[in-house]
Amino acid sequence: MTWKRPLAVVAAFAVGASLAVVPAAAAKPTITMSGSTSVAPLAALLAKKYIADCGGCVTFKLLQGGSDVGISDVASGRVTIGNASRDPKPTDPGGLVFNKIAHDAVCIVTNKANPLPGIDEAGVQAIFGGSVRSWSSVPGSSASGTIDTFVRTPASGTQDAFQKIFLGSTRLFSGASQKASNGLIQQSVKADPNAIGYVSLSFADGLHTVPYKGVACTERNAKSGQYGGQRNLYMVTRGPATGAAKAWLKWITKSAAAAAVVNTEWVSLQ
Amino acid sequence: MAARGPQTAQRRDRTDRRAELLLGALAAAVLLLIAFMIAFVFAKAWPSFAHNGLAWFGAGGNLDEQLSAIFNSPSDPSDYVYTLHAWPLIYATALITGISVVLGTILSMLAAMFIVDFAPGWMRATLQPVVRLLAAVPSVIYGLIGILVIVPFFGNQVISAERKESVQYVIQLDGSSILVGVLVLTVMITPIMVAISVDALRSVPATWTEGAAALGVNRWRALRTVGLRAARPAIVAAAILATARALGEAIMLSMVTGSVAFAPNPLDGVTFFFEPARTLAAQIVDGSEGLSVKPFGETMYAFAALLLVSSAFLSFGGWLARRSMRKYTLAPR
Amino acid sequence: MSAHAQSRGPAGLLSRVRGGDSWSIGDRIGLASAWAAGILLCLIAAAIVLYMLYRGFQYLSLELIFSHPEAGLDQSKSGGFLDPLQGTLALTVIATLIAAPVGVGIAVWLTEYGRPSGLARAVESGVEIVAGTPSIVLAIFGLLVFQQGFLSFLSYEATPGVAFGRSFFVAGMIMSLIALPLIVGAAREALHSIPRHVREASYALGKDRISTIRRVLLPASRRGIGTGVALGMGRIVGDTAIVVVLLGATLQNDPHGGIPGLSFLQGTGSTLTTYVYNNSPVGEGGSPEKAYAAAFVLLLIVIALNFVVDLITRGRGPSWTR
Repeated sequence: MTWKRPLAVVAAFAVGASLAVVPAAAAKPTITMSGSTSVAPLAALLAKKYIADCGGCVTFKLLQGGSDVGISDVASGRVTIGNASRDPKPTDPGGLVFNKIAHDAVCIVTNKANPLPGIDEAGVQAIFGGSVRSWSSVPGSSASGTIDTFVRTPASGTQDAFQKIFLGSTRLFSGASQKASNGLIQQSVKADPNAIGYVSLSFADGLHTVPYKGVACTERNAKSGQYGGQRNLYMVTRGPATGAAKAWLKWITKSAAAAAVVNTEWVSLQ
Repeated sequence: MAARGPQTAQRRDRTDRRAELLLGALAAAVLLLIAFMIAFVFAKAWPSFAHNGLAWFGAGGNLDEQLSAIFNSPSDPSDYVYTLHAWPLIYATALITGISVVLGTILSMLAAMFIVDFAPGWMRATLQPVVRLLAAVPSVIYGLIGILVIVPFFGNQVISAERKESVQYVIQLDGSSILVGVLVLTVMITPIMVAISVDALRSVPATWTEGAAALGVNRWRALRTVGLRAARPAIVAAAILATARALGEAIMLSMVTGSVAFAPNPLDGVTFFFEPARTLAAQIVDGSEGLSVKPFGETMYAFAALLLVSSAFLSFGGWLARRSMRKYTLAPR
Repeated sequence: MSAHAQSRGPAGLLSRVRGGDSWSIGDRIGLASAWAAGILLCLIAAAIVLYMLYRGFQYLSLELIFSHPEAGLDQSKSGGFLDPLQGTLALTVIATLIAAPVGVGIAVWLTEYGRPSGLARAVESGVEIVAGTPSIVLAIFGLLVFQQGFLSFLSYEATPGVAFGRSFFVAGMIMSLIALPLIVGAAREALHSIPRHVREASYALGKDRISTIRRVLLPASRRGIGTGVALGMGRIVGDTAIVVVLLGATLQNDPHGGIPGLSFLQGTGSTLTTYVYNNSPVGEGGSPEKAYAAAFVLLLIVIALNFVVDLITRGRGPSWTR
């Protein structure tokens, strides 16, 4: 058939063009990581610095797919390290070690048009629990009208942290809009003057962060421990880490270079 | 030419039979893979249905809270929480899919008739790449445009503060709603229907419509009564594909419909359209971060199983409809 | 056939018929809405493309297209999207190359043979059920299948006996499943639109069924098959969930293994859709302008791929313009 030929040419061209930039394979130990999309940017930056520091002693492979994929991957031995942004659950596969690598501050945010001067625990529970629904009942708020609350899905690590630290036993408002990622909450709060939500510190650009219990949500306050709302980021290994992975984790938790990288948008453990 | 002897006829039969077996085997292999997938989904989904029985499909309690409880189940398998009443999701899926398909079918039939007969040549030439482009825009981009442009427009400009206050203890009207979901979903599924309908209308024999012309019917009416009727099986096939696409659309809807497990109430009048909801597919995507937690994962699979069953019903319905329509065409079967 | 000799559609002849004033109000409204529908589609497509262009214009440069993505805090200074671009092209080609022959083969079997009829019904339903499955479910199913040890040649072995389960091969095979229903549907309708007498004439001339299919029916339905392939490719290009789960969504394309061509296919990578998602305001990457620039490039690629499909399947079948 006359159309088979051009089809084959196109296919060969496309595959050939993509092969043109295939890098050479290396024979160094490879650390494979997969998992959380929120840990991935941090892991990528740390990996870049580590390679520069140790003179290219390992190669990294960083995949994504979500905390869930990371945990099941490392449990079955497909990857060396799984990245997780949620705390270990009792239903996780056995034999896993959750190595904490950083803290992540969770900030309460409102739209820039509504710069709330501060909020306390009772206020957060009232607003996110649904008992207060109008901005006019919130002291210090310059907006009026109905409060639009944005939260994360139940499977999210940030939601888990928010529930434990800020809400305690208060149930979340049933009408709150659930968003699947930090970025979506950031976008929703940016677009709606009556919005309130919570995001990781690195996603607070363009929004007003609300001081919690009198402490502003900044990098410095999170580091000093004054700001209470923080969640953990983990690199999960099957059993205690060994070999190249062990050296890598040690570098992350102990070296000053790693701390500098982490402190750009997250909170180092050191 | 035909008198070449029994050997040639036998050889012809054999190649024919071989071709039939080969193609049949291909079809059967694909069917096997699909059946395997269906079995996998149902096997994983079974515990969720078993624990809830028919109440799984009913209403009761706050779905979001039920999902949280399932996700936070204790580690002992005998203590796993499975309680779920999925009606808000089912209702939202049926509502959003149904309205989008109806709107999309009307829009695509009009567009197809326009392309086939009334568009000037240059416009027809641009509309083909336009339709194929619309069919290829990733759902992420539709979702992005939805939340960057359409949702804020509705939330800040269209929905009044009084309307928001009137329902504020139950739900919030921030702009992300079934209305935006329906609008964007309609745009997503229309190109599929337009492309297939145009091909079908074009292949209606000209003698049929010429006959209508001879009876003094105008162009529009000829196309509408003769052309559309002859192309009906194809239009139904296109509508089935579009409905299936709408059922399976997850990311875009999760972004623009507000993602609240709420069953919009038609008795609310106009507010009904501004109320948020969440569909089954959007729920699966939102919950995909937690699949390794067994009861939660099994619940997500249960949603997927329901979608598979709906597609099966859809397929059956389409087959019934097309069977009765085939007699209006010259098709072989 | 006289149908193809017309210069306009089936009712084109009527343009030369001067009838009386037979246009009722209902007909006029119908005509007006048909015009409105056509114009609306054009406007929507233009709006989408222009919006992406407007948002990403300042960052759109040739350098962006030809440099590799890099990790970096200030994304506006680091890297472009060459790898995701290659990923999109490679994945689309692989998945279409699998889906097109399989889809056409199934469509031919369903319309021309279709025995036993129970099997035919089951295949029809099976394909339509896949059409209604969200792609995340297909992705997870793919992970289950391809993580079996004996299929590790399709990706690579992390530890002996455990297949990694994610690669271009794997993603391509599952992607072809989402394009399949569209190709099967469009091809079936194209084959059905060929009247019975064409087949009967071919049999009368002594050809057996398979040569009739190869020489008469398939060329005549090229146009419809082209529509199906274009729609299927559109679905493939636009999918995100399967790429994230089955391709790994690594920043750069990572080949595996020794043989150059094969190692690319066995390796992980990303596509423009995941790049757009990650860098857009809703993802984690934080460089929205590059995301919009990438989206605009993606739309251009779609137009180019559709053009190629058109070239290949240009035929005597019903055509949009003549």
